[in-house]
Amino acid sequence: MDRMYFLELAINGGLAGLMYAMVAMGIVLIYKSSSVPNLAQGALTMLGAYVVLGFSDALGVPMWVAIPLAMVTMFCVGVVIERVALRRLAGRPIVMILMMTLGIDIFLRATTMTIWGGSGRPMRLGIPDSPLFLGSLLLNRAYVVGAAVTLVLFVTFMLFFRSRQGVVLRAIADDYTASWSVGISVERGVALSWALSAVVATAAGVLWGSVQTVDQSLSLLLLKGITVAVLGGMDSLGGAVLAGALLGILENVASGYLDPLLGGGTRELVVAAVLILTIMIRPHGLFGRHDIERI
Amino acid sequence: MLYRRAGIFHTSYASDRALFTIPFEKWAMVALLAFALVAPFVLSSLAITSYVRPWLIWTAAVLGLNLILGWAGQFHFGYAAIMGMGAYASVHAARNGVPWEIAVTLGGLTASVIGVVFAFAALRVKGLYLALSTLAMQFVMDWVISHVPAISGGVSATLQAPPMKLLGHAITSEAGTYYVVLAWTLLVMLFMLNLRRTALGRALVAVREKDFAAAVIGVQSFYYKLVAFAASAFIGGVSGAMLVFGFYHAVTPEQFAVNVSIELLAMVIVGGLGSIIGSFFGAAFILLLPGQMNALIAWLAKLLGLDIGVEALAHIPHMIYGATIIIVLLIEPMGLGKLYGNVRNYLLVWPFGYVRK
Amino acid sequence: MSSAPTAGPILSLNNVEVIYDRVALAIKGVSIDVPQGGMVALLGANGAGKSTTLKAISGLLKPERGEVTRGELRFMGCDIDALMPQQRVQLGIVQVLEGRRVFEHLTPDENLLAASAVAKSSRAEMTRMRDRVYGYFPRLKERRTAQSGFLSGGEQQMLAIGRALMTNPKLLMLDEPSLGLAPFLVAEIFDIVQKINRQEGLSVLLVEQNALAALEVVSHGYLMENGRIVMHDSAGAMKQNPDIQEFYLGGSEGKDFHEIKHYSRRKRWLS
Repeated sequence: MDRMYFLELAINGGLAGLMYAMVAMGIVLIYKSSSVPNLAQGALTMLGAYVVLGFSDALGVPMWVAIPLAMVTMFCVGVVIERVALRRLAGRPIVMILMMTLGIDIFLRATTMTIWGGSGRPMRLGIPDSPLFLGSLLLNRAYVVGAAVTLVLFVTFMLFFRSRQGVVLRAIADDYTASWSVGISVERGVALSWALSAVVATAAGVLWGSVQTVDQSLSLLLLKGITVAVLGGMDSLGGAVLAGALLGILENVASGYLDPLLGGGTRELVVAAVLILTIMIRPHGLFGRHDIERI
Repeated sequence: MLYRRAGIFHTSYASDRALFTIPFEKWAMVALLAFALVAPFVLSSLAITSYVRPWLIWTAAVLGLNLILGWAGQFHFGYAAIMGMGAYASVHAARNGVPWEIAVTLGGLTASVIGVVFAFAALRVKGLYLALSTLAMQFVMDWVISHVPAISGGVSATLQAPPMKLLGHAITSEAGTYYVVLAWTLLVMLFMLNLRRTALGRALVAVREKDFAAAVIGVQSFYYKLVAFAASAFIGGVSGAMLVFGFYHAVTPEQFAVNVSIELLAMVIVGGLGSIIGSFFGAAFILLLPGQMNALIAWLAKLLGLDIGVEALAHIPHMIYGATIIIVLLIEPMGLGKLYGNVRNYLLVWPFGYVRK
Repeated sequence: MSSAPTAGPILSLNNVEVIYDRVALAIKGVSIDVPQGGMVALLGANGAGKSTTLKAISGLLKPERGEVTRGELRFMGCDIDALMPQQRVQLGIVQVLEGRRVFEHLTPDENLLAASAVAKSSRAEMTRMRDRVYGYFPRLKERRTAQSGFLSGGEQQMLAIGRALMTNPKLLMLDEPSLGLAPFLVAEIFDIVQKINRQEGLSVLLVEQNALAALEVVSHGYLMENGRIVMHDSAGAMKQNPDIQEFYLGGSEGKDFHEIKHYSRRKRWLS
């Protein structure tokens, strides 16, 4: 009985964790190309979900049209954010860049709330509510779909980074000046990574919105996303996926056993503990590059 | 002319290293101080309690955060937790009969000790990772405070704070609390102003710029980072205590949650990293702007006959708050303090503008 | 100064002045001509302003807060001052940066692929160009799947040059390619560059501190000191010039170091 409970917690946690990884992938994309930790990823996720709802509710467009439309919109939003807000701060101390992303996060969250209001709305993706059964284990069907999407995205990105445009993005991440010297437009590359990240955020927003209603709490995914990104390595997509699964399992299992003992709220504690431990023990995460500080 | 460096000749080291060398600025400071002392009798009671007092306390906190962020160049995304620790410690001490001044100092020391213990581990990393670990610390402290009834008096409980007492006499008048708060803020400000001319200040700047180079010339960077953390945590702890005793009069976990940390950071950035006068500006800006803009927008809406729902109106201050951060960072990344500095430099040599670079 | 009677110089700098941070004058009154298909050296000691000159041509001054405040930069007759670095690469100017600066986490294959983006070449063209690069640098081909950060200095230099070739340039600018390399590698690389210059007619502007090696492969050279051009002559004449021999070519047998130093400080160059 106990073993079944543990397995159920673990698998469901792992699936949810893969969905966290989707948020983390957006953060990693931007960090890989411009060394900017995007603390506005949570807000982008939330905004993406609301934009989808905006298309489907306000314009009556079916979901399978609304989602791509929203992705295109968010693509442009990503480009605009990079162009307007981040480009001027290139080269400035990182505290200012972090504050800028925080400012964008606050602004986007408040604007979204102002436009769409605070009450939660459902995201109807047509995923039936009935759970999937793996043997005698109960699996949340929406989580399974979400995890599958994450894996598909991951594979897509791995293939993308082998293509010429993807190699260009990786080159930009390595050395801006050398990129300029061979004619690569660093500005376009960075803008592209922001745009892609916004699209990923939309996917994450849609899937998480279907699991928990679309409301302000979607932006809280930021903390989980950042923890997963740090654990996996801030510039490793594969790391993000693995770390996401790991964190999801840890979080679900720990809170399943500890919540009754400590009276709730242990999820956040586990996430914070993982973050602190990762930074103490292995700051560059499981698969991140060990950046040598040049003296 | 009044506002000039020309004609000022120093004949002793003491006068050369004075804080305000230009007579105009010296007299301006004296005038400001005089005004601050008579403020309770000049300004309305509402202004003092709702605007000036919180502004002063938050400025003290911002100065403390500037010490670690602007001067030592180390990230701290969990300053509100530090303030909270100081607040809770001092309230518990005061409730248990400890004399008020000692209780507040105890609050500062508690925050300092816990801050240093944490810093010991956190300072192994730099940059983004230091920021994230302090943010994680904030979350952990949030959880501990709200889940340990011994500290918070139960989840979402409110602990009543006993009144301020100086030398055993309770201070309950507005003017009284105002003066105590003013004294604390002035103390912190003097400390920060003097930092520039002490060895500690120079060491912190060296550590900020390039810590390994500082180590090469004999400045133990880890030690000084710890000192900076300890000092700034002390200031934060006492400021947190001041906030509770002098403004809220009760302490709850929400007062020192994550969003407060972000607000403090915004104040530092908007005011200008490392700028002392910027701390005053930044605190005022972030405290007052959203509220005023909200009133303005509501008035505009009424004027234009638009109907902005109450819900939407509730989020507009946040919109403005976020937009402020973005706009300030775009226009002048070094904040309002730098803008003030630009104006000052311009006036110092006016009308000979070409003398400046 | 053209080697081909019908064509003007491919690159022509006229009285160029560069200032950093709006206050620090780096180079002044610099006039350089690179003939079509020619190979020209820009020599000088550390800090003379050679790298700055190259960056003014390739447009990479902005990240270092420098700007061209006076003078003209003409490439194939067109004024390039207003063009962004990417546009200059598209026109055909490419700079191989000082210190190699390869993309460390990418393999040599990927380095070359990244640089081919600007030429907008098709996959077949790209493969052809890549094979051509490996033809020049067979040693690089052996290491084509290793992470570039782990290549030796000489291999990285070859990769940097090969990467520049992928952009289909008309003018190749090399910034101190001999930096940190063993002498036999320097000779090998210079030979290959000379081969590229002769076989493809690619114009080369070579910036070097190692005047000895550079003067062996170029047709003529410019000498920079303190941000100004102080001498311009054919390579042979420069090699024979006694002052150059003393200051830059190590030919100071029997003379006291201090004597030479004082003399070089007081020397007023006539060109």
